[in-house]
Amino acid sequence: MSSLRDFSKKKKPEDYYVNLIQELERINGRLHAFNEISHDVDRGFPISVKDNICVDGMEATASSRMLKGYKPPFDATVVQKLKDAGFSVLGKTNMDEFGFGSFGINCISPARNPFDEERVAGGSSSGAAVAASIMKYHLAIAESTGGSISAPACFCGVVGFTPTYGVISRYGLIDYANSLDKIGFIARSSEDISDVFKLSVGKDGFDSTCADFKPLKKEKDRLVIINQLYERLDKGIKASFDRSVRRLSAKGFKIGYEDVNEIGYAVPAYYIVSMAEASTNLAKYTGFKYGEQLTDFSMDYNSFFSASRNVFGEEAKRKIVLGSFIRSASVRSMYYEKALKVRRLIINRLKEILDGSFIISPSMPVLAPKIEEARAFTPVQNYSMDVLTIPPNLCGFPSISLPSDYVGGLPTGMQIIGDHMEDLSILSFGKEWEKDFIYRFKYNIGEI
Amino acid sequence: MKIGLEVHVALPTRSKLFCSCSTADADQPNTNVCPTCMGLPGSKPYLNGEAVRIAKSVCIALGCVVNGSISFVRKTYFYPDLPKSYQITQIDGAIGRDGKIKLENTEIRIRRVQIEEDPAKLIREDRYSLIDFNRSGTPLVEIVTEPDIKSEKELKEFLYVLWSILYYLGVDIDKEIKTDLNISLGSNRVEVKNVTGIKNLLDAAAYEASRQASLLSRGNEPVKETRRYDERSQRTEPSREKESEEEYGYIYETDLEDYDTSKIKTGDIEADVRKTAKSIASRNGLDYDTIMQLVAFDRHSLSLLNHGLNSTAYDPSTILNVVEAGKRFRSSVNEKSFSLIAEYIKAGVQIDKEIMERIRKGLKPDYKTPDKLKIREFISKELENDPDILKRYRKNPKVIDFIVDTVSRKYGLPQKSVAEEAKKILTGEDD
Repeated sequence: MSSLRDFSKKKKPEDYYVNLIQELERINGRLHAFNEISHDVDRGFPISVKDNICVDGMEATASSRMLKGYKPPFDATVVQKLKDAGFSVLGKTNMDEFGFGSFGINCISPARNPFDEERVAGGSSSGAAVAASIMKYHLAIAESTGGSISAPACFCGVVGFTPTYGVISRYGLIDYANSLDKIGFIARSSEDISDVFKLSVGKDGFDSTCADFKPLKKEKDRLVIINQLYERLDKGIKASFDRSVRRLSAKGFKIGYEDVNEIGYAVPAYYIVSMAEASTNLAKYTGFKYGEQLTDFSMDYNSFFSASRNVFGEEAKRKIVLGSFIRSASVRSMYYEKALKVRRLIINRLKEILDGSFIISPSMPVLAPKIEEARAFTPVQNYSMDVLTIPPNLCGFPSISLPSDYVGGLPTGMQIIGDHMEDLSILSFGKEWEKDFIYRFKYNIGEI
Repeated sequence: MKIGLEVHVALPTRSKLFCSCSTADADQPNTNVCPTCMGLPGSKPYLNGEAVRIAKSVCIALGCVVNGSISFVRKTYFYPDLPKSYQITQIDGAIGRDGKIKLENTEIRIRRVQIEEDPAKLIREDRYSLIDFNRSGTPLVEIVTEPDIKSEKELKEFLYVLWSILYYLGVDIDKEIKTDLNISLGSNRVEVKNVTGIKNLLDAAAYEASRQASLLSRGNEPVKETRRYDERSQRTEPSREKESEEEYGYIYETDLEDYDTSKIKTGDIEADVRKTAKSIASRNGLDYDTIMQLVAFDRHSLSLLNHGLNSTAYDPSTILNVVEAGKRFRSSVNEKSFSLIAEYIKAGVQIDKEIMERIRKGLKPDYKTPDKLKIREFISKELENDPDILKRYRKNPKVIDFIVDTVSRKYGLPQKSVAEEAKKILTGEDD
């Protein structure tokens, strides 16, 4: 049974929400899943909202000092839809600043992995994955640009679902890269996500890139592994993934291997497009309209705008500098325009495969690293962690990360990619997987 | 001399380009605003189809190729009036390109017509500035010409024709017009940015022409630079602005889908103004220049001519008078009202507010069978209000003019008939 139905059927003690919030606040002190916990919740299935998604009257900081104090006067469309359906917003979840990161460490207090608190929760939707991992009844609204749902879901042993680009309205999402950003969900089962996904889709007058969801229904029993990605896996992950593939094979799936020579260009193309877009999105933070306010008005405009940029974290600054460079007229055709072409090529090639198959891979090429290890990574090492999650994100394909194994007490994840509009099919795949693979959790806050 | 222009004009839509806020003037600053036109984090733009429709009409009127699919770009720069620190505008995916405007002796090519959003308004006070976002997000078209204008006279003529075309499409000159003026007498291009209004534009061009000419006459080449026009001193001066195209860092605005313009119906207003003027001229024996002068700056007049002259031929002087009257009173425009105005004019009736009111009601002048008794009745009624008039008339016969005027106006009667009868009454003569 989905935990949504289970929750509504169960009789809850009168002080259920008070206790839930108290317990959550206690554990949040260690795990930093939430930037803000609401005290107004007294009914409904508890959901959380990533802190780059607007909830009327609650701070939306995207975990940036730049947005400290910004309380949007409106709900994101997805939040509005779920509120209307009776869900209650329990709080705003921690993340890498503006979504820039794969480990959740680019913020003031990084979220910690419930399976090993020395380790990262994954990013950028770090708090969303932790929230789903520690609460018995919970659904987290998250967002992915290049893997920000799959990565933390994988590290925290929960299900992360990234829908087809444009089927869930982005209205109310604080942009990272507009052509890549997708609002999705993290929860404890594919079934829970499936229920909520259906409530969240639909054309929206406030986001013109949002299209009607027209599900593509194709019977598929073939799973394709891309050789060039498989070869890059480290031993432990490879062995764990092989075990999952054998399980799937035993369930009757046919396993195929395909070459995708273009796939190596996915990461650079992704970072070029996302940085170009991000650098324009970050331009609006100028320190005098909302969020962080500069107080020295004696400077001229240029100095003032330069001073306002100091509030950004290091990765945000890197994206501004690189993104602005990429956009400059003298190199635009070398990088930006080329990246858009590469993206088109990769979409076409992967669509050929997805015509009759799903694509599978591990979700992340490594186990969750220790926070200190992750902090020592170079930017290029960081970016290469997204090698498996970028292809579907770059192409706008729906993907799901399912807990697939436990290695040394840490969860690993398996990522399934479907064709555009095959969202329900990959969620069904998840439900099938969950029939005989039992997920493990360290906490069950809110258990009834 | 080589002059090229980038002309920005507001499109007459009821709501803004990317949100549903009103474009109407508001009494209070920052009241016609929402998260989108304030650029609040989390907001998104949503394209106003009406703005695209009007822009398409503009393109057609300017003889442009209309792109079937249009896209937008972000032009990034920092200024306090720009809420997102980028402006949503168009380049390659612009709505129109390769048009032209025909002048008397030459042709000015239009390179591009693009749709873009207006920034907010900065209100400069002594020691600080205020920002009013009511204007933020107002739809504009930017019309970019090739540097084909070769004299101040041509510049004037170009503006005259351009504005008459835009007016006909409902693009209102009363709203602020901003122009970037590129002007060079030598080999270096000088750009005068952000000139507001037509008069200032002509003045700025005149000033630059003489400034550059005087430099050249002394053997100095004017330097390539951006200048600004100062209204008070009526001079241009070097601007501190240093943005180049390089620094704008254009990328696609991926919050907006490509927009299909091929299905937009632009209606019959897309008829080319010049063609219309020409056909009016040939139909009625007026010369083309006269028609253009009549309609320039005034779409009502062209519309009046075009709709009024469908079937009937009028003599040129009547047409001029009708347009003159129509201009003054912004009358409703159709064939019937045109012919009515013409009838009143033929009858020698001075067209004024009351007559226009009669015309609006479809009332014809009463002159056809000037019932003398009726006229006398009207006059007598008028005289009752002014018992001393006879005394005054004896001293000054001109007093009669006032009565005649009043009566003919009130009842739509020819002045001549009224005057005759009035004279008879006042002098005691009888038939």
